Amino acid sequence: MSDRPSVLVVVQRYGNVSGGAETHARELVAHLRPHADLAVATTTAADYWTWANVYTAGIDEVDGVPVHRFPVEGGRSRDFRLREHRAFAKIHPLAAEDAFVRAQGPVAPDLLEHLRRYGSDYDAVLFFTYIYYPTVYGLPLVPERAVLVPTAHDEPALRLSVYKRLFHAPRAFAYNSVEERRLVHRTFGNERIGGDVVGVGVDVPADRDGARFRARFGLERPYLLYLGRIVESKGCGTLFDHFLRWQSDVSATPVTLVLAGRGDPEMPVPSDPRIRHIGPLSDQQKFDGLAGASALVMPSLLESLSMVTLEAWAAGRPVIVDGRSPVLSSMAARAGAGLAYRSWMEFAEIGELLVAGPDLGDRLGEAGRRFVERTYTWPVVVEKYRDLFAEVAARNS
Amino acid sequence: MTGRRLLLVVQRYGAEVVGGSEQHARLVAQRLAQRHTVEIATTTALDYWTWAPYYDPGNDFLDGLLVRRFAVTAGRDPEFKAFEHRVLEEDHHVRDELAWPAHQGPVAPELLEFLHRQGGEYDAILFYTYIYAPTALGLPIVPERAALISTAHDEYPLRLAPYRPLFHLPRAIGYLTPEERAMVHARFHNEQVPDEVLGYALGPPPAADVAAFRAAHGIAGPYVLYLGQVSEGKGCDELLAEWIAHRERGGSPDTTLVLAGTVRMVIPDRPDVRALGRVSEDDKAGALAGAVALVQPSRLESLGIVLFEAWQHGTPVLVHRANLVTSGQTERARAGRSYADGGFGAALEALEAERDTLGGHGRAYVERECSYAAFDERLERLVEATAR
Repeated sequence: MSDRPSVLVVVQRYGNVSGGAETHARELVAHLRPHADLAVATTTAADYWTWANVYTAGIDEVDGVPVHRFPVEGGRSRDFRLREHRAFAKIHPLAAEDAFVRAQGPVAPDLLEHLRRYGSDYDAVLFFTYIYYPTVYGLPLVPERAVLVPTAHDEPALRLSVYKRLFHAPRAFAYNSVEERRLVHRTFGNERIGGDVVGVGVDVPADRDGARFRARFGLERPYLLYLGRIVESKGCGTLFDHFLRWQSDVSATPVTLVLAGRGDPEMPVPSDPRIRHIGPLSDQQKFDGLAGASALVMPSLLESLSMVTLEAWAAGRPVIVDGRSPVLSSMAARAGAGLAYRSWMEFAEIGELLVAGPDLGDRLGEAGRRFVERTYTWPVVVEKYRDLFAEVAARNS
Repeated sequence: MTGRRLLLVVQRYGAEVVGGSEQHARLVAQRLAQRHTVEIATTTALDYWTWAPYYDPGNDFLDGLLVRRFAVTAGRDPEFKAFEHRVLEEDHHVRDELAWPAHQGPVAPELLEFLHRQGGEYDAILFYTYIYAPTALGLPIVPERAALISTAHDEYPLRLAPYRPLFHLPRAIGYLTPEERAMVHARFHNEQVPDEVLGYALGPPPAADVAAFRAAHGIAGPYVLYLGQVSEGKGCDELLAEWIAHRERGGSPDTTLVLAGTVRMVIPDRPDVRALGRVSEDDKAGALAGAVALVQPSRLESLGIVLFEAWQHGTPVLVHRANLVTSGQTERARAGRSYADGGFGAALEALEAERDTLGGHGRAYVERECSYAAFDERLERLVEATAR
């Protein structure tokens, strides 16, 4: 390997697509570009549900990096929910698992053929997300040079036999958090395989102005900020319940819950003047909003890495998390930068503490800023990947 | 320590099964059963080409061990030769390579379901022979408790897609020889997987009656022995050509080449070549003990158990140098000679001069390396590296 390793990035979608892992992959490619010869292998899909062919198959270019797009022969099948249900049953045949992976999509056999033919031309092949077809069937074709970014959380799929090979075959892992690594080791007993906690870098603008945000949206009271999709699966139902119970108490300090994020709410938002849905924000508005917030609330239970949590910390603000979320509550404790609730009363108590005593919030936020600086900045992330690629290349030379 | 619960997975298993890796599997099962609870999961097949059902599915017992037999639902693809040609020689898609284990067989879906459902009940699962479907498709289901006993040689299928992950997945690998280990490491760069070179074990040598063997087959004078299937695949055509050339140059006068084993090729009609067909165990011991040398011309042996058997009787061996395993083995034991193409005669003559010294080295080597005690120790290390 020369000083510049050649690296193929494999991910289910790539380009102007939303999604945590896909965004992660593209940002990482942009930051690795000065240090590695990169190419991307992906599908022609743009959305993660249908995987419909939107992009043209063939060689594309994104951010100056060649992108090989392979056609999706099978999108998500119409009986996906049934397949999922069967595979997730406590007792299920092996065949149900394979059927689930195929029904989930995107089935792109030519992507596998590309890996078979050209995989060994690269020093390393970096796979994003353990759960989809390209990784399930692609990683076993290049185990000796595979680095997996699992983005795993504790979910039923992780316990399927079909995924075990992905956690025992690769050369190395790039985990998003200490908590994810612990989960993977506990689930698979694969401590022998090395790697590192890498995650992503978080960029925050130096200019952050809470007053500007308050003025823009007419906010007078202290507020808690929620950033993300408004959907039951992200814990929004619990959040609304806990917040309104707290605020219904006559002795509660009046506070506003500000909801911001792309797209229409995917569940009813209570019609209450104390809850404000302000829609999508620009990056600048987002960081202004964080700067002015008493805290970010992050009620989701199933996160392998919460970008908004890291952004809140990078901006020096504390985060309120659900104590049942193993990753978020453990990260908040490790960072000393968040507080976890297990009931609406604890939620109310935490809310009062942070709203009534801003010093506490500032101290927690500062601890969060230092936590992010230690791990989740691009120079640190890029350095760790360079080390991983060098190790992979050394083992194959 | 109390024993562990172990499962051994192998494509065929039974008293009637002939085959090197199956023989190794049976030995390993018996040795491990001295200290552990051992079960075997296998198929209903007896024949390695068709995998036609022979045994009944269900529980069986052999050597006092539970043998779980799972039905073969599809034998080898009747068009396998054509399929093989396409995958090995022609342009093809990864889909074809991934279908290889199913085409080759034996396809036993219930065996895979058993691993999926009940694999977790075993502390370690030992998979025999990398190439067949039970290992290629079964090991990835239970990598966290799997040991692979690959019995690999450097052959084209080793490069196919299903086998790329197989050497990286298990907790540990048991190689038969240092040559296999070196070949696998060079190809797969899987040095991170702990391994053990297992070799083989033999009980005390069976009593040999050379005179009885000679009398039964009418063999007088010195003879060189070949033991095993007599076929072109085993290199017997090349051996015969070497032998005839050597004799026509006047080498090894009065010496006979004795071929003992099922004959699958045309044998030249000459007084100095005798094909006996399959011989009894008693005859085999006598034949080995009385031979000037055992010759093993095959280029594709992954262990060569017959070499150890010859050494046990104090008989040196002649092996083809192209086979790194048998020639490496012979060199380590200092108990024979290897020859390159055209070099058979010279090697045989050199060996004749120090036959008993080389044979003595062989006997000492087997006593040291192939004792049950030494073998058990190596097996135990493999199990410990594998078990959860």
